[in-house]
Amino acid sequence: MYRYFLSWRYFLARRTNLIGMVGIFVAVAALILILSIMTGFLEESRKTVRGSLSDILIEPVFRHELTQEELPPDPFDLLAAVRAQPGVVGAAAELQWGGIITQSGKNQEQYERILSSSTHKELLAVQLVGVDVRGFERLTQPLLRTALLPWGPLLPPSEIQDEFSSTDFLAALTRSAPEDEDAFFSSSAPVKIPLLPFLPPADYEPLGRPKAGAIIGQQLFRNLGLRRGDVIQIATAVPDPDNGEWKVNNRKFVVAGTSRSGENETDLSRIYLERTELIDFLRDTRRFTQVLVRVEDFKRDGNRIRDELRESLAAAGVIQGGPYARQEVRTWEEFRGNLLGAIENERVLMAIMLSLVLVVAGFTIFAILSMMVTEKRRDIGILCALGGTPKGILDVFLMIALWDALIGGFFGAVLGTWGAIRIDSIERWLSKTFGVQIFNRDVYLFDHIPSIVQPMAVGVIVFGAFVCALLFAAIPAWRAARLDPLEALRYE
Amino acid sequence: MSSPTLPPPRAPVSSQDATLVARGVKRSFPMGERRLDILHGIDLELRRGELVALVGASGAGKSTLLHILGLLDRPSEGSMEIDGRDPWQMTVSKRALLRNKEIGFVFQFYHLLPELTALENALLPGMISDSPLAYRRNKSRYLERTRAMLARFGMSERLEHKPPQLSGGERQRVAMARALFHDPEILLADEPTGNLDRATGEKVLELLFEEQKRRNLSMILVTHDERIAQRCQRIVTIEDGRVADSNG
Ligand SMILES: Nc1ncnc2c1ncn2[C@@H]1O[C@H](COP(=O)(O)OP(=O)(O)O)[C@@H](O)[C@H]1O
Ligand SMILES: [Mg+2]
Repeated sequence: MYRYFLSWRYFLARRTNLIGMVGIFVAVAALILILSIMTGFLEESRKTVRGSLSDILIEPVFRHELTQEELPPDPFDLLAAVRAQPGVVGAAAELQWGGIITQSGKNQEQYERILSSSTHKELLAVQLVGVDVRGFERLTQPLLRTALLPWGPLLPPSEIQDEFSSTDFLAALTRSAPEDEDAFFSSSAPVKIPLLPFLPPADYEPLGRPKAGAIIGQQLFRNLGLRRGDVIQIATAVPDPDNGEWKVNNRKFVVAGTSRSGENETDLSRIYLERTELIDFLRDTRRFTQVLVRVEDFKRDGNRIRDELRESLAAAGVIQGGPYARQEVRTWEEFRGNLLGAIENERVLMAIMLSLVLVVAGFTIFAILSMMVTEKRRDIGILCALGGTPKGILDVFLMIALWDALIGGFFGAVLGTWGAIRIDSIERWLSKTFGVQIFNRDVYLFDHIPSIVQPMAVGVIVFGAFVCALLFAAIPAWRAARLDPLEALRYE
Repeated sequence: MSSPTLPPPRAPVSSQDATLVARGVKRSFPMGERRLDILHGIDLELRRGELVALVGASGAGKSTLLHILGLLDRPSEGSMEIDGRDPWQMTVSKRALLRNKEIGFVFQFYHLLPELTALENALLPGMISDSPLAYRRNKSRYLERTRAMLARFGMSERLEHKPPQLSGGERQRVAMARALFHDPEILLADEPTGNLDRATGEKVLELLFEEQKRRNLSMILVTHDERIAQRCQRIVTIEDGRVADSNG
């Protein structure tokens, strides 16, 4: 019984023990906090990246480098082959091309000012994404089917597959951004009829030929200070089919609305157009660049379907296959593999580095206990004389470390978990109070600090704190147990 | 075929009523290359209820002998018996239990734990012998007993004081209460008044003698004081690590 009693007394009597406890406390809290944030980053990246990428991505290599074999320019055969694959619930073609905004909404002077500002240099280059949206059919077919009810069974089953069925495009169209009160312009303009996103706004009065509608990434829209119905001019370069020389093309579009994926990179650079419109803009250089596939249960059979697609599509002659298959058909995880891998790496590295904090805390415990054993030599001798065993004395000092770990670990876990859950508001408060921006929301993929507390990780960290404390305490405790009681007792 | 016979029980070396026996106990300490012999073969018997004074010049080896008798130190040579058993044949924990229950120690420098109150110091042997559960069960009994004992020593007002707040005499009383906690058979006192002024020392000694009589303790008292030694039943004189004289 004296083990508990004395270790607790010694723990309380020596203020220096607080250092060891605080060390454990800080280490545990920091480890939990950082690990939760890194886990959050990882998970959040997966989520946002998945949203704009769909499950499986097919990017055919149109011309084989050796055989010069050409794939069909239109996506119809490829789409049909993909849709025939069991487990696939949607497939849609996209045409992606780079472009530059050369003129936006209001007067040209103001636009030039934006362009020349170093903070807005990222606005120059945009990614033009041509998508298939069969919204009109989506709206009318149910009506048609009801009208033709008597012949219903004779009609083929409704199978409208477009961008909506293979990506989160629909959600991105309806999502609006949080408004900052002091902003002059609104930060987003979700479209009125999401199924017909490229429809120009009702109050759009064209000067001359009506322009096609464009959906602007929400961040781009906000940074350029655009409004629905504004006209922007986009420039792009395409090779001349006759001599292969690159020519610049200009075209004006009307802003029909915004899309918001929640992923900064995407929302800063994407401009959605109708695919047919973009094909025309590019002078039929390319009709599609990729096919986006959504599968029923990606977690379960995403990789299997990818492998099967690699084979069946190559056999159907709609992708090159062979050595190209690996880059032509990829899951979104593979597509963003570098990013996810980097975050995972950082997470492990961070955990290792922060474990050093735990080791430092362990060293303080070691130092304090070593001092204490020297200081308590006489007490150790007395305990021996009163019938204490070496093992009992070992336990007394080990248990001092146990109190350190127990109290420090508990409060560290509580604070770390609380901090991890509230990190976003804590950061906002800190930024506001001290006037320094700690987390620059423009730099990262997300507009909040993500964090996920894994109970398992908390458990492992607290357990680690115990092991560390006890391991470092073992050396001085062992020294105490081996002390000759007489050495301690003989002199005052 | 006859069954293997056990060796006959060893005849007790000591007379029946001896509780503590030392036979040919030697103790030497390594001093660099050489060995420093302190005890050169001590024979000593402590009978039940006997009060023995251990006298001798400073540095004669009295404390060394007392530590050996109290199982804090192991003799380099020779044998020991406590209640007919050799304590050095026992396991570490059995020997610790013996120290805890059967042997009480009173030191010249009190040796109390400075972080504990007087009462807690006196309760320490109980804390050491009991598991947390047993201690909880026994606590009220222990408390009652220890309070009564400290009250008998005139310490009722001092229970919650810590050693630094107590006078030398008071500290030694706490140490005595601690030594007597488990009502041991043997009490070893190493110059218990050596650090006290005469008047205080005499009061403490009176209490000690009183307890010895009351509990019929087998007690060895190390002292310099001839007058105190005279009050004991037997005086053993140590000279140069040997028993020079043992008379009763
Ligand atoms: N661990 C030790 N190492 C060396 N010498 C020791 C040790 N312990 C005691 N001594 C020596 O043994 C002698 C006897 O000491 P002690 O038993 O304390 O004498 P007393 O108590 O009779 O005054 C002293 O000279 C002392 O210096
Ligand atoms: Mg001495």
